[in-house]
Amino acid sequence: MSLYTRKESLPIPPRDAERYTTVCQYCSAGCGYNVYVWPVGKNGSAKSNAFGIDLSSPSPMLSGHSYTETMHNVITRKNGVRYNLAIVPAKESRVNKGDYSIRGGTNAIACWSDTGYTRKRLKHPLLKKGDSFAPIPWTDAITIIATLVKATIDKYGADSIAMKFYDHGSSGLGFEDNWAAGKLFLSGIGTHYLSIHNRPAYNSEVWGTRERGMHELNYDADDARLADTVVLWGANTYEAATILYTEHIMPNLQGGSVDEKKRAYQTGEPAAEGLLVVVDPRKNASVTVARAIAENRVLHLRPNLGTDWILANAVARIIWSNGWHDKAFLEKRTDLKTFEDYKQKSLQLSRPLVEVLAEAEKITGVPRAQMQQAAEWIAKPKNGGFRRRTLTIYEKGIIWNMKNYDQVAAIAQLSVLTGNVGKPGTGCGRQGGHQEGYVRPGAPTPGSVYAGGPPKNVDKYLTGGGGKIYWVGATDPYLSTPNSQFFRKMLKKRSATLLDSIDSGGVPSDPKELVTRVLDAFEKSDGLFMIVQDIYMTQTAGDAMLILPAAAWGEAAETSINCHSRLLRIYDKFMDAPGESLPDWKILSMVGMKLRALYLAAGNQAMADRFGEMDWKSDDEVFLAGSREFGDNRVPETEEARLSPECYRGVTHQILRKLGNTGIQTPVRVDPASGELVGTKRRYRYSFASNDGLFKWYGTDPWSGYPPEVAKYIDNPAYPFWFTTGRSQLVWQTMYHDRYLPEKYLALPLPYVEIHPEDAARLNIKSGDMVEVFNEEGTTVALVYVNDAGKPGLIFGLMYHARGSLNHLTSSYTDPKTTIPWYKGTKVGVRPYRGTPDEAIRTTSLLPNNDVT
Amino acid sequence: MSPISRRTFLQTSSATLALALFGLSGTAESATGKRYPSIKIGNLRQLKEGEPVQFNYPDPSSPCNLVMLNEEAVGGIGPDRKVVAFSALCPHMGCPVNYSKGRFLCGCHYSMFDAAKNGQTYQGLASQWLPQITLRLDRTSGSIFAEGVEGLISGRIGNLNIS
Repeated sequence: MSLYTRKESLPIPPRDAERYTTVCQYCSAGCGYNVYVWPVGKNGSAKSNAFGIDLSSPSPMLSGHSYTETMHNVITRKNGVRYNLAIVPAKESRVNKGDYSIRGGTNAIACWSDTGYTRKRLKHPLLKKGDSFAPIPWTDAITIIATLVKATIDKYGADSIAMKFYDHGSSGLGFEDNWAAGKLFLSGIGTHYLSIHNRPAYNSEVWGTRERGMHELNYDADDARLADTVVLWGANTYEAATILYTEHIMPNLQGGSVDEKKRAYQTGEPAAEGLLVVVDPRKNASVTVARAIAENRVLHLRPNLGTDWILANAVARIIWSNGWHDKAFLEKRTDLKTFEDYKQKSLQLSRPLVEVLAEAEKITGVPRAQMQQAAEWIAKPKNGGFRRRTLTIYEKGIIWNMKNYDQVAAIAQLSVLTGNVGKPGTGCGRQGGHQEGYVRPGAPTPGSVYAGGPPKNVDKYLTGGGGKIYWVGATDPYLSTPNSQFFRKMLKKRSATLLDSIDSGGVPSDPKELVTRVLDAFEKSDGLFMIVQDIYMTQTAGDAMLILPAAAWGEAAETSINCHSRLLRIYDKFMDAPGESLPDWKILSMVGMKLRALYLAAGNQAMADRFGEMDWKSDDEVFLAGSREFGDNRVPETEEARLSPECYRGVTHQILRKLGNTGIQTPVRVDPASGELVGTKRRYRYSFASNDGLFKWYGTDPWSGYPPEVAKYIDNPAYPFWFTTGRSQLVWQTMYHDRYLPEKYLALPLPYVEIHPEDAARLNIKSGDMVEVFNEEGTTVALVYVNDAGKPGLIFGLMYHARGSLNHLTSSYTDPKTTIPWYKGTKVGVRPYRGTPDEAIRTTSLLPNNDVT
Repeated sequence: MSPISRRTFLQTSSATLALALFGLSGTAESATGKRYPSIKIGNLRQLKEGEPVQFNYPDPSSPCNLVMLNEEAVGGIGPDRKVVAFSALCPHMGCPVNYSKGRFLCGCHYSMFDAAKNGQTYQGLASQWLPQITLRLDRTSGSIFAEGVEGLISGRIGNLNIS
């Protein structure tokens, strides 16, 4: 009867079970988890167990002890012994307090099990042999790569090597893997054609705030409970950083944090239930859940796609005109020279308020009354003249918007204008997607067009025939890159060209012979040699010549920080990686050392030196090697702004194991007075991260319409719908794990779009139908869910799914200032799909996911 | 060891008890080897569409809902397979779930479970789907019996381990 095999009891960890602490492998919240491992058959009992609680009676609701069907798995270690694995949310973690999301709750079943859902992990290095792959030894794989990379650099230059690697923490092995990738690609190979997992270039997504002197991770999760007003701007927190919402924002709305506020606020300062402003074109569950809790304390602004910075500036102008800005803060903490530019261009003080607002209303579609209310909720002083404390959290709705740089800058500046940085209940920063764990040598492009940039667009380089080798690490650009149908088409062609050139009587396994043929193909054609390093077979990997199997979360010790408190913790190793797979840092180390040996053998000391210091023996060693990049961190608290935001110098894996779920907040300082390691709760209390410590203002651009890549659709009746993309609560990223977990793939079996009931009626379609969504960039067939999240005329699509990508439709536009794409805005046409619907739809719920009443 | 706790045994009416004993051979065996009880929980003729009826299963400390939907459901019984039953405890953190509009909604964190689709979490925090109660219909009398649980009841280490 059940759609998949359910469990009706769970094995109990005995008191002597192995115990580890870890942090969830998924979203930016970074919930703490406890891990228990014990041999199969050696269970504890209801009264005596590793949880230390009596399991013979049901645990009361919200008790903070959860152990569910998805929190247990059976694993096999390299010793051949089968073990039970339980991964349960940590009650003692101040991030989640025992709570967990639909993603984190599956940490255990997503671990590799040779008999479970995830048995299809990659286990051996694979070489493409015609239309299939064959396992080869690591020594051959490393020899092929190193020989080929060296020969290619020597003949065509370092820029002939293109790379796309993750730079995040959590599911990647955080600081350890990132340092290794930085050493190999930035110090060693030295190519300019670098790109990050989710975008076509090597850039910050938030140079608009960093170049102001304010790093994007500056607040603490506590601030979401302490704020008078929380602003969620283009950040679907309930669905994408769930526990930040349920454990920190929701209690504030419910009034559960008023006492906490009283303790944190000044004497006599009013403390009440929180207000929430959501700026999002969609009435998604982040809005509807909040309204179900406190209808009158939720304000929802729904700007037209691409127009948010105009809205932010209009709200700032209302604040200025009412005198609600923080004059003392502006004068003391910000650069009044650059402020003139902001006043002129962003606040438009030379124009009358009514004119500015009328124009903003026309561009954004947001009524003036709502702008006024937002301004009041963000900045109107409280009774007694106390400044309102507002925390602003933004994410991909802003970052992956048109004009990335100006969007981010406008929101950061709105917060600084109102003095909302560095105090309890304030802050302005990213929500984040993954957790972070970035430590690398300096990037070739240091900043936006205003600071030495913009960086190269690797996608355009490759689709235009550039490059010889493309090395992809833990990302699946065939699904995830913008304009992905075109990208895939071009890369397939170039990979096929290479394969065709070298496949003469088969593809040779002998490294020397293979390299000779590949180099010959490079000379004669635009063939592309793709290397994919991942934990599963991916769509992109299907066209790779070489696939390298990597270790996943839990299979090596790693460290990362979460995004809402910069909380550094250890994500310990509790199981072995499948087959011959290795941590990414180890793979990169082997290639680096081989390259060094080849250059030494060729008498090229200078090149050999570039690949030095990569012979790490352990994960702890890589972590320590990376820490030296941060420089001297012996500074007093008042100078924390000088430190790199993720600085952990002085911290070791051993220290983090002792700290467990408590962790330590970066930047970590060595306090000059005590000599102790000290974390930083919130940033920029004393100064900003600029040369003189002052916040640097920026006058944003005026509205000038849409870029040509989208403007071409505006008056074209073939593409009547605006189209935006985003995430689903249910699945993580490309569903690399979720595509194998029945709880997930049965619930979301296909790529999908959400369509408003009025549009659905006009198109004569209903939930459960299939449609083809199309424009000049590409087409996708998608399942339809009808709901009222978007306005009529706006279609929402899941960015990508294991079985297809809606990024086929996104344009190749990137912000000329930063090379960040506009994933979230284009126009499309819709055709009802007349074929028989995929039978997979039978398992999915068709109920609207934003109706919570 | 009895599959039914002493308390359940005493609370069960004699008519139900007779059927429970009669139906014993038809009940599901749990993973722990214990057998689920067969308990009469309602009558098809008394069910009204969209109006859930509460019952406890497999023991008194496990509240459940029996409901007739307006569509065919996975695991549904009755002429149109519209009658289903689920645990009333959210598998996320054990809060009560309430039925409306074809789904069970948890008031603590707003997880939502589709009653026609096996209790699947289609929104919210519960990584585990809502446990569904296996039902059997006596066509002659219209009596509905609960005879098993698919999925782990929230807060328990085993569905039948609690005594």
